[in-house]
Amino acid sequence: MGKFVTIGERLSTTAPAVNKAFTERDPQPIIARAKQQLDAGAVYLDVNIGPAESDGEDLMKWAVKLLQSEFNNVPLALDTSNMKAIEAGISVYDRTNGKPIVNSADAAGRIEYLDLAAANDAICIALCNGEGLAKDNDERMMYCQTLLERGMEHGMEAEDIWFDPLFLVVKGMQDKQMQILECIKMFSDMGLNSTGGLSNNSNGMPKLIRPIMDSALVAMAMMQGLTSAIVNPNDLRLMETIKSCDIFKGNTLYADSYLEI
Amino acid sequence: MPFTAKSGKFNASINTLTIGTGDKAITLGGENVLPFYTFDAPIENAPKVGIEITDGGMENEPECIQKCYEGCTTVVDMAKAAAAMEGVEFLSLRLEGGDPNGLNKSTEELVQIVKDVAAAVDLPLVVCGCKNVEKDAELLSKAAEALDGRNALLLAAKEENYKTVGAAAGLAYKQVVGAESSVDINLAKQLNVLLSQLGVNGQSIAMNIGTASAGYGFEYVISTMDRIKAAALSQNDATLQMPIITPVASEVWGVKEAVASEADMPEWGPAEERGIDMEIETAAADLVSGSNAVILRHPASVVTISKLIKELV
Repeated sequence: MGKFVTIGERLSTTAPAVNKAFTERDPQPIIARAKQQLDAGAVYLDVNIGPAESDGEDLMKWAVKLLQSEFNNVPLALDTSNMKAIEAGISVYDRTNGKPIVNSADAAGRIEYLDLAAANDAICIALCNGEGLAKDNDERMMYCQTLLERGMEHGMEAEDIWFDPLFLVVKGMQDKQMQILECIKMFSDMGLNSTGGLSNNSNGMPKLIRPIMDSALVAMAMMQGLTSAIVNPNDLRLMETIKSCDIFKGNTLYADSYLEI
Repeated sequence: MPFTAKSGKFNASINTLTIGTGDKAITLGGENVLPFYTFDAPIENAPKVGIEITDGGMENEPECIQKCYEGCTTVVDMAKAAAAMEGVEFLSLRLEGGDPNGLNKSTEELVQIVKDVAAAVDLPLVVCGCKNVEKDAELLSKAAEALDGRNALLLAAKEENYKTVGAAAGLAYKQVVGAESSVDINLAKQLNVLLSQLGVNGQSIAMNIGTASAGYGFEYVISTMDRIKAAALSQNDATLQMPIITPVASEVWGVKEAVASEADMPEWGPAEERGIDMEIETAAADLVSGSNAVILRHPASVVTISKLIKELV
């Protein structure tokens, strides 16, 4: 078993400062946020440029080149609804430290993202939902099967499809939480990799509470076999929890300084 | 279904580490497979064999070792004789005379021996301390200074003195730093982390993960080495990718099976043969478990182990 893969989520157009920097092609704020995340232990960085309909290709290329040249070919997740922009990003991507991740496909309108990942030898995040949220795990696993078959038909290795059960917000969907955890176990039993936007669970909670909920959930999810998550790596409590769980799972070898490396 | 052999090659490798300078320099590590798994991928740098001499005086050596150095009166004589022996790729000088509970030689006196030996031989040098952590901190630091430019291995920094030894050997004089733990995989990792945090380049560290003579808790040594190699290669753990060097001689030539005389133990047979057997068996087991270099004392063991390595790599 490999180490848990953290994908840093802080380079996203949903943050006004990042949005502005992307629009103006201003490298400094992007580099600063990337550095904070990598220093905190992020393995991959998610690059969410939003819909980027007009200049997505140019923007994604710019961002990939900027980040990889600045940070020793850091591996990246390319996150946009503009497929051409993802392809453009991959065309300038250096794979030294890991394949690019296509973020993301689903079992409905975005299933072609898998084809794109297959054609470009990339990893693909595969959301187990169709038109709207899955109502239960039978439905989630049906989507999982659809996505798996689609990827493999196009020549992907199963290990390059990272299944996302879609973490749900506790405030409003508390009764669904165990379902999600059980779904992760099903992926794991099938030998599949998994990931997801874990902090979704704590949306709308007070700032002080969120790291606690996120840490508890990541520990439970790792126990179920979750292999990756899209997280805020600058949440110290969360990162400490992930590193500790990696120790318990035997993914890394313990040393007294394990939190510092 | 046809059988397709799967390569056991890893996507990670052991660090490549050079000790010594010039034509005689040796290179350890670099492999991306388990020990001697040359069928999975070539092993570029075969494990290396060194010979150990000490400053402790001939009279304290087992009789069979004394015989090998007949006519030698000084440590330098021994160093020259050892360097000329078949199969010897590096020389290890153990400064056991520094032990405060033993001969308690001064650091100055010992460093002079180091200098004299360094001047007399051009083989890569390993300097081992006297096993007293305070004395070794001083001794190995001064030895690092005295060997400036020789790219020698100082064996070793321990948890108690890694700051002093690491700073002198690794930072000030750019020698190779030995990191010694005692058959404790978590401490082996921790010490590498601590040395790296001190600023020592991980590429200039060799590990002595601790050793024992075969039969003396040796299975712990083996399982520790196995797990270190597994973490280094299968988990790509950069804090454990340092090559391993194992001082076999100092353990083996202290156990009764190796040193009891035939007069005392007639049923055990000739002492020399027993000692050599113990040394060869221990070294061979260390090598197949992951040691990238072994330090031996008897010239016959050196010849046999060198031959074993040549046959396998």
